[in-house]
Amino acid sequence: MMKWNLYSRGDKIFAIVVSVLIGMFTVATLYPFIYIAAVSFSSGFAAQAGKVVLTPIGATLEAYGFILNDPQFWISYRNTFIYTIGGTIMSLMFIIPGAYALSRPQLKGRRAFNLFIAFTMWFNAGLIPFFLNMRDLGLLDSMFGIILAFAVNAFNIILLRNFFEAIPQSFEEAARMDGANDFQVLWKVFVPLSKPAIATITLFCIVSRWNGFFWAMVLLQSEEKIPLQVFLRHTISNLSDNDEFAIVQTEAGFSAETVTAAIIVCSIVPVLIVYPFIQKYFEKGILLGGVKE
Amino acid sequence: MTDRNTDVGGIPIEEVVIEAKEALRDRSPARRGETSWTRLWDHLRREWQIYLMLLPTIIWFIVFLYKPMYGLQIAFKDYSIFRGVAGSPWVGWEHFETLFSNDQFLRAVKNTITISFYNLLFGFPAPIILALMFNEVLHATYKRTAQTIVYLPHFISSVIISGIVITAFSPTAGIVNTVLDWLGFDAVYFLTQPEWFRPIFVGTGIWQEAGFGSIVFLAAIAGVNPSLYESAVVDGANRWQMMWRITVPSILPTILIMLIIRIGNIMEVSFELVILLYQPATYETADVVNTWVYRQGLQSGQYDLAAAAGLFNAVVAFVLVMTANTLSRRFSRTSLW
Amino acid sequence: MSGVTLDGIVKAYGALQVVHGIDLTVAEKEFVVLVGPSGCGKSTTLRMVAGLEEITDGDLWIDGRRMNRVAPKDRDVAMVFQNYALYPHLNVAENMAFGLRIRKTPKDEIKTTIDDVAEVLGLTPYLDRRPADLSGGQRQRVAMGRAIVRHPKVFLFDEPLSNLDAKLRTQMRAEIKRLHNRLGVTSIYVTHDQVEAMTLADRIVVMNDGRIEQVGTPMELFNNPANTFVAGFLGSPPMNQMKATLTDSGARVGDATIRLNGVSSAQTGRDVILGIRPEHVSLSPGEATSALPIALDLVEPLGSEALLHARHGESNLVFKAETRGDIHHLSGVGEVHVPAHLVKLFDATTGQALSLGS
Repeated sequence: MMKWNLYSRGDKIFAIVVSVLIGMFTVATLYPFIYIAAVSFSSGFAAQAGKVVLTPIGATLEAYGFILNDPQFWISYRNTFIYTIGGTIMSLMFIIPGAYALSRPQLKGRRAFNLFIAFTMWFNAGLIPFFLNMRDLGLLDSMFGIILAFAVNAFNIILLRNFFEAIPQSFEEAARMDGANDFQVLWKVFVPLSKPAIATITLFCIVSRWNGFFWAMVLLQSEEKIPLQVFLRHTISNLSDNDEFAIVQTEAGFSAETVTAAIIVCSIVPVLIVYPFIQKYFEKGILLGGVKE
Repeated sequence: MTDRNTDVGGIPIEEVVIEAKEALRDRSPARRGETSWTRLWDHLRREWQIYLMLLPTIIWFIVFLYKPMYGLQIAFKDYSIFRGVAGSPWVGWEHFETLFSNDQFLRAVKNTITISFYNLLFGFPAPIILALMFNEVLHATYKRTAQTIVYLPHFISSVIISGIVITAFSPTAGIVNTVLDWLGFDAVYFLTQPEWFRPIFVGTGIWQEAGFGSIVFLAAIAGVNPSLYESAVVDGANRWQMMWRITVPSILPTILIMLIIRIGNIMEVSFELVILLYQPATYETADVVNTWVYRQGLQSGQYDLAAAAGLFNAVVAFVLVMTANTLSRRFSRTSLW
Repeated sequence: MSGVTLDGIVKAYGALQVVHGIDLTVAEKEFVVLVGPSGCGKSTTLRMVAGLEEITDGDLWIDGRRMNRVAPKDRDVAMVFQNYALYPHLNVAENMAFGLRIRKTPKDEIKTTIDDVAEVLGLTPYLDRRPADLSGGQRQRVAMGRAIVRHPKVFLFDEPLSNLDAKLRTQMRAEIKRLHNRLGVTSIYVTHDQVEAMTLADRIVVMNDGRIEQVGTPMELFNNPANTFVAGFLGSPPMNQMKATLTDSGARVGDATIRLNGVSSAQTGRDVILGIRPEHVSLSPGEATSALPIALDLVEPLGSEALLHARHGESNLVFKAETRGDIHHLSGVGEVHVPAHLVKLFDATTGQALSLGS
């Protein structure tokens, strides 16, 4: 703010105008969330009639009651936690040792291995061969299949590899002279030194698992295995496709709109709770991602 | 090799002398008979741990990413589930001929490029403008808070995004039609009208990604030498002039590289969100290659034809990405990947 | 017998050879300093001893055992790195204990060792601090402590003081010397700083371009440099070197003659490099001195001494003179007096030291 006093009048006006525009964009970003929250707490009738703008109309918790009483909601929620935690652990188990190995100058064929991995960022076999492969592997409708098949991606490995490569060689050498083998160098030196990068990758994994939808929808058939996002999608499409249902529910105090909104709120809340803590890592992470070969 | 010395007879004397000298200098017995294989064996014995660490990742890549590439051959085969990938008979380019005479597929290609073009036109400048604006905000807390909020939608899943869009654009209940009603317009059934799909899709993309996309440009701006601004102040420049004459030229390389990446990714429309937002009524403008592949392959079971479409998409994407990467190497010393 | 022997050690990266056959024996308890300009191969040589670089050719013996293919951890050597390589996530005690823990030393033994070493190094109050909270000198001590706790047969130092400021460097230099006197562990020390080399070493190895130029005690090297490279490398400022021609009465430098005894008739007319240490000249004539006329450029007072920058013919020369609290009397200096017995001669083409006579 020190600078402010040195600004000319024109600069001050410019700064104010820009600040207002930023404020408007910020509000526009935030508004849909507020709107959805308002809808979720409104009565079904008010929501259906499009009366909700900013605050709940005819405030009620009926929509939440409807959701929270649906056992499938809880099953899916639990599944999402399993996919997120299991998947993230699985990812780290592949990525950390893999990235370490790829970062070592003594690895013979290092360039070839790196190319082998980076190539998958540029060329992808596509949906069909991937799906058929999963079927051949017997991983359709398998929770383990979901956890394993999306554990690794080239981007995360390269990101961590770059971070490992930037660690001064002498750390490894000192540990080696102290008698550490590669596993010890990795776990006792590199991993603690790379906390920011590993945190970033962990968060990338968590977010992509939490949000993962398409392949869960394609690969999972059993209701007891589907994650929250798939359940959410089923509910949204069922509710909006079924007018009769909507009318019935309105009398019950909720509607397709309020129920949809309530599920959205329920699945967004964990993200919102964690978000402020992870945000700085993501900022760092995306910059780490200015990847080089 | 080891007993070359016994062979003095036929060898010119100079060579023998050189050999003898080498032998004198090189007394380590292991070195003499060393071949590249024993060297490799020696290396593996010492460094086996890093290979062990790499092994799971390599196997994973083979099983989950390279094996499907092998499976791509069904694009040239009459694939049947019972015969499998290897056992199905070859049909050559038949599927590609079918594809390029299929109006829906051609429409999907056209839609992919069109949507990407709109994304580029409107979605690309948005984060740059946002970053330039953030750079002019003086109040640190205000700036920080605003940044935190505009980054948020990036972390929201496409299903939730689609849920919000569906609710907000709902013909009777949605806020958009409520506002239109206030302004005296008739309600619009946005999500069933082909002409509205692209604006909604592209707009949603900007809402979701502009904020997060600005991080890269903000970092580039942060890297500008502050003394450039100081000397501009001394020269009497105002903030607006500084933005255009210092900030923008300084981050131009970043802008160019990001632009090249975007062009390279033209075939990559986020089809997950398309699947969530489109419906048969809007296929005309919404259906992209990957959604078409999804319907043909995974929903209708025409695996071979769909795989051919996917292969076409992947090859075009590959060429574009490699071209983009080559170009960007020219603009920055560190390459993109 | 914890000596180190390098026998024709060669390092090559593919076709590029960077160390061309080093022969050196370091006796038990000896402190040997490898010194030379950057890129001379001294660090590479040290790293080959440590086992961090593969030895391309030749043999390395430590304590009578051939070490070429022994892993670094089994060579029983410890190394202090230029950037210290202290683990930022561990405190001082944990940093020093790292190697012992890896080797599964019993906990109570680790504790006593750490406490002892911390005591010696004056680190006891800092044991639970992280490296980030230490000063440069303390970090340097921790790095040494980490090497000491393992009681290795050989200490290796890779420019350990180059990250410190000048004052601290002097202080730590003395500390390393005291520590070596106390522990008596065979040490090999790499530096590019000739002052460090002179002050620390039992013997100095001057390296240049992947080869050893000369090995000897600091004073041997200072008094009798084997060639112009060593002469120019050791001493501060370095030895003045001037082109000269031998005559029967001495050496002709430009239009002056430095009288020397014992030029043989075979050597007469030979082109040589004449070396004079800056501190060996005097401003007034003495016994067996020759006058060398100079054109004074600049007088740099250093306190009790001053540096005289001067020219003679094409040569730029630097001499040291006492100030006696004033430099005015130095501004008019037009010649210096060179004592014959302190003049060094080198072959003009090979740069090797020459002796007069025979």
